[in-house]
Amino acid sequence: MRIIAGEEINALLNTYPRNAMYTLAVMQDMQRQFGYVPREGLDALSGHLERPLSELYAIATFYKALSLTPRGKHIIKVCDGTVCHIRAGTNVLDGIYRALGIGPGEMTDDGEFSLELVNCLGACALAPVMVVDGTYYGKIAPESLHEVFDAIRAEGVID
Amino acid sequence: MIVTIDGKEVSCERGEYLLDIATRAGIRIASLCHHEGLQGQGCCRLCTVEVETGRGDTGRGEGAQSGSFSDKKPRREIVAACIYPVEAECVVYTDSERVRRNRGILLALLRASAPASEEIAELCREFGAPDGARYEVQSGDGKCILCGLCAKACQTLGTGAISSVGRGTAKKISTPYDEPATVCVGCGSCAAVCPTGAIEVAEDGDERTIWNKTLTLTRCSRCGAVTGTAFEHYRASVHAGTEPPDLCPDCRRKAMTDTMAKTFGV
Ligand code: SF4
Ligand code: FES
Ligand code: FES
Repeated sequence: MRIIAGEEINALLNTYPRNAMYTLAVMQDMQRQFGYVPREGLDALSGHLERPLSELYAIATFYKALSLTPRGKHIIKVCDGTVCHIRAGTNVLDGIYRALGIGPGEMTDDGEFSLELVNCLGACALAPVMVVDGTYYGKIAPESLHEVFDAIRAEGVID
Repeated sequence: MIVTIDGKEVSCERGEYLLDIATRAGIRIASLCHHEGLQGQGCCRLCTVEVETGRGDTGRGEGAQSGSFSDKKPRREIVAACIYPVEAECVVYTDSERVRRNRGILLALLRASAPASEEIAELCREFGAPDGARYEVQSGDGKCILCGLCAKACQTLGTGAISSVGRGTAKKISTPYDEPATVCVGCGSCAAVCPTGAIEVAEDGDERTIWNKTLTLTRCSRCGAVTGTAFEHYRASVHAGTEPPDLCPDCRRKAMTDTMAKTFGV
């Protein structure tokens, strides 16, 4: 896990005025820059905005886009919506477990991939669906997952 | 302005909340998430009542007969009394058939989500709540109805040690990272405002434990009653420059009376 320096956090905070309206924007920046919202970040933000830590924690735990634990470089979202569920979306999860050794909510040891379970990605015709870094993969054959992840690993971060 | 609640005429100011008016008139309306010092939660809906407005204007019966939806037509609607400001003269029913049915369902649902709460069980007995498979208790030890009064009290007092955490069915009230909060002064206000007895406070000798934090208690130098926690008085002295109290409110009053009696020689 990457150590996040206080200066990095301060630099980020200083790009925003001390106004409660920027709370969420700062957290989103942290999420983007560090891959999660670190505890040191929330502490510093609490001081910066003079808002109780508890209030910030409530926000950070409310939004699914924010995570309090590190997330991998690549985010895999597997659909468990109704259609994908019926079309054996769970087989995709098994396939990912075989390929990467992680389950929902977990991250690979090398910090490359995180896995999240989501509800309907809006592409039911392609069920079962998975999205990696914003790219949709439909009608997934669990055996092919190895190759998909190897290719993504080789390409690096897609933003 | 006059509102009629269960047949009783009560005078009030425009904009006053119905629940406050009823309470003043001695009419009991069930409530949980209402606290006079922390208005506006409006989330338990237990204070459901039926309000009839626009009756005074219907003498000629125009609205009713033409079938038009003019706002002159009397309307009976279900509202939450604690957040319903009275804007016009109206007739209120706190125990009509419809209110009883709605309130019963609400109580049964609240009981199912907070089965261990004595307070809710008591309300069910007092106001009546249906039984049935729909209201079956899922797990046995919950007391919290997530009304948020505790967090609001803590925040209003300037501490902000607790808040709602998470979302959906996993939502709960807690301290950041579920750890003892550094800022918690152990005043116990959260537990005092909680309508369902969900927050545990344990006192043992000179210590109080709340939200996994243990604090030292201070006592009245005369009668030994608890006057708060040392950290609470310390924070108050830092923020407001107050002295830690030596006496409890009762003894302070007595001391004052004694001084007066001596001064005036009675
Ligand atoms: S602990 Fe009590 S006051 Fe706090 S949200 Fe739960 S029921 Fe409401
Ligand atoms: S159910 Fe998976 S995309 Fe709709
Ligand atoms: S008392 Fe809870 S909504 Fe009115």
